[in-house]
Amino acid sequence: MFGDLRRFDSGPLRGADRFRELLDELFPDPGVANIRSVPTGSYPMINIGRTDDAVRVYVFAAGLSAGDLEVSIQDNVLTLQGRRPDDDKGAQENGRRPYFRRERSRGEFARSIALPEGLDADRAEAHSQNGVFVIHLPKREELKPRRIEIQSA
Amino acid sequence: MNDITRRDTPREPAETRAQERDSGRALQPPVDIHEEGNALHLVADMPGVTSDSLSIEVDNNVLTIEGEIRLDMPEGMSAIYAEVQAQRFARRFTLSHEIDAEAIEARLDNGLLHLLLPKKQSHHRRRIEVRAA
Repeated sequence: MFGDLRRFDSGPLRGADRFRELLDELFPDPGVANIRSVPTGSYPMINIGRTDDAVRVYVFAAGLSAGDLEVSIQDNVLTLQGRRPDDDKGAQENGRRPYFRRERSRGEFARSIALPEGLDADRAEAHSQNGVFVIHLPKREELKPRRIEIQSA
Repeated sequence: MNDITRRDTPREPAETRAQERDSGRALQPPVDIHEEGNALHLVADMPGVTSDSLSIEVDNNVLTIEGEIRLDMPEGMSAIYAEVQAQRFARRFTLSHEIDAEAIEARLDNGLLHLLLPKKQSHHRRRIEVRAA
């Protein structure tokens, strides 16, 4: 479903798609890095979706179990805090492991997101499955779409 | 009637092409590869991939890791913001000949894939005797 967002940007430059795909391959998606000049993967990636009665935040944090991510809401700002284990030492005692590739990010992170207005923080729920944390934030009653019946005179 | 079909036909391939492009779009999972003991260890971040949606194949010394991102999404949801804009992860590696493809082990744990790639037992130099004719 989140792939749908990508379709919006296919405007008049349809022919350039091939070229852009090629460039995307050469210079992969910076991911979160476009917010600030931080290296890719400094923060776990986030998707946000909306239904009629709730907003859902998906946090893609592989390797983190339920206790490793701290989720808090204050003043309509959602803060995600956690720590990705740094397992460089390994079983060997003699220094660091020899790495051939080291692309995964490590260490602590904290990310805050401003939420849309009108969410009920008290009824928020969060669960994790397969390294994806889902934070379910129900809308307050008065913000849900309501159907107004038309009465015939 | 003819008019309608004529107008519909050129649109169809464009749509399927767009679908193909979408399904073809895959994220490259970040990986760590290190050597420990007599094996290579590969760790890949693949959040949202379940053991059912993950496929690992070795063909002709090329290791392919592919996994579909399965999210629990309620019906009628629309996206507000998305950093993960693909449905799957995919990545390929060329294995060296010293890896024993038969003995590769995989473990998936909270979206973290661990692959153990043991080296072949018989990977030492062999001497070939030259017989006198």
